[in-house]
Amino acid sequence: MAVSKPPGRAAVRPDLEQVFRTAYPRVVAVAARVLGSRNEAEDVAQEVFLTFGRSAVPSGEAVGWLCVAAAHTALNHLRSGRRRASREEAAGGSDRVYPDVADAVVTLDERRRVRAALARLPRKQALALVLRHSGLSYAEVAAALDLSPGSVGTTVRRAESALREELNRHASSD
Amino acid sequence: MRHPTDGTLRRLVDEPAGVADADRAHVARCPVCLAGLAAARDDAAVAGAALEVEVAADVDAAWDRLSRAAAVEGRRGTATAARAGRWRAALRSPVVAVVGAVTLLLGASAAAAANWLPIFHAERIAPVTAPRADLIKLPELDDFGEITVTEEIRIRQVAGAAAAEEASGLSAPRVGELPRGVTGEPAYHVLGRVGATFTFSAEKAGRFAAAAGQTLPPPPPGLDGSQFRLTAGPGLAAVWSQGRPVPAMLVARANAPAAYSAGVPFETARDYLLSLPILPENVAAQLRGFTADGTTLPLFMSVENMTSSAADVGGRPATVLTSRDGTLAAVVWVDAGVVTAVAGSLSADEVLSVARGLRWDR
Repeated sequence: MAVSKPPGRAAVRPDLEQVFRTAYPRVVAVAARVLGSRNEAEDVAQEVFLTFGRSAVPSGEAVGWLCVAAAHTALNHLRSGRRRASREEAAGGSDRVYPDVADAVVTLDERRRVRAALARLPRKQALALVLRHSGLSYAEVAAALDLSPGSVGTTVRRAESALREELNRHASSD
Repeated sequence: MRHPTDGTLRRLVDEPAGVADADRAHVARCPVCLAGLAAARDDAAVAGAALEVEVAADVDAAWDRLSRAAAVEGRRGTATAARAGRWRAALRSPVVAVVGAVTLLLGASAAAAANWLPIFHAERIAPVTAPRADLIKLPELDDFGEITVTEEIRIRQVAGAAAAEEASGLSAPRVGELPRGVTGEPAYHVLGRVGATFTFSAEKAGRFAAAAGQTLPPPPPGLDGSQFRLTAGPGLAAVWSQGRPVPAMLVARANAPAAYSAGVPFETARDYLLSLPILPENVAAQLRGFTADGTTLPLFMSVENMTSSAADVGGRPATVLTSRDGTLAAVVWVDAGVVTAVAGSLSADEVLSVARGLRWDR
């Protein structure tokens, strides 16, 4: 059995710390837009940076790669129902101070609806929406999602329209 | 002139420089488009507000956490990619996937010196399944002695199939028919030769066991201080990632793993290791079931995350692995001393279909 263990240690790329310190807040923000929770977003960012650390992604493409990977991973978490952090938040471990209880209830409920809407969107629309709102240019979103730059606007527009409909539908039925 | 599309109006909201002058001029004069632009701006603002979450990340604390995790991963080594549901993470990076998806690309081609006795050469692969908790308890090789890496794991992207073939000495796969959703040309990666020498240390093994509250039986004569040479041959992989972090599919090949001994035979070392009380019994029992001639490569996997089944590819026995959440499948087999794997965000039927349709001639 010993022979199946690899002899080498997994090499971690030397620029990991520098890239991490520069890009971490932005990567967390991407995941947080999907998940609505800082704790969970930080879990996703850790996962993504670990993968990046063992990759050979060129330094110049690192930030874009990390944002795209964070959006993918966060959507996977959203859809697989791994919502540990959100349960913790609901139980009182919130990462945000609300001015009053009513605001907190409204905000949590709206966050929940936003997550549900994101989970229902086609994957490409959800990714385009989150990446564009995270500051990736149309050209960067196009490259990441294998779209033409012209169709990024259409995809984002559809996602926003669907998201708004979803929020309105719930708001009027409440 | 026709009205610009909704997508163009959307881009006018936040990247107007990317919109053609003619479109901008049209929108400025067209009431219909101005209304559409206002609606787009409105929806964008609502979506932006809905998605916004205040995040004040503590970068120092996060870096500490990542450093610790990276250190643990480094210690566990790349073979753990096969374990504990790391497949999904592994697949996000084509480079890691090359190492991780095949799991054990420790090829055999490095020349054994005259006094090195070949003791292991993989001719088949068999899954060893156990609960994740048991797999985490499995000792690593460096818990039993010293490992000196003589040739580091190096993976690099090359220009194309021909370059990959030349660098690895293996023929590149030709896929008959790509599964639905997999398109374009693959990127080619080459794994260089890897090698290491392992020296068994009875003292170190004893210390490891003591830390686990166990006492080891005395090692058989000749095992303490004896050396094993583990070699990793060249390999290659074709990765269809289509510019995304998660490759849709990859096909990888490498010379099958082998090990050489300067002293004790394979059976001696294996029987001793399997007798140790620090191995979870369910894992040891499966390993004992393997043939005694050192030709079966165990593929460790956790029952929580993966399932395996037997299949055949071109008449060779193959192992099909699928993640329990249904997002990933892989098939791996050994033929004529070469390990081949097909993996991806595909179904088991799809990876098998690709595997059976592969051709190596060019």
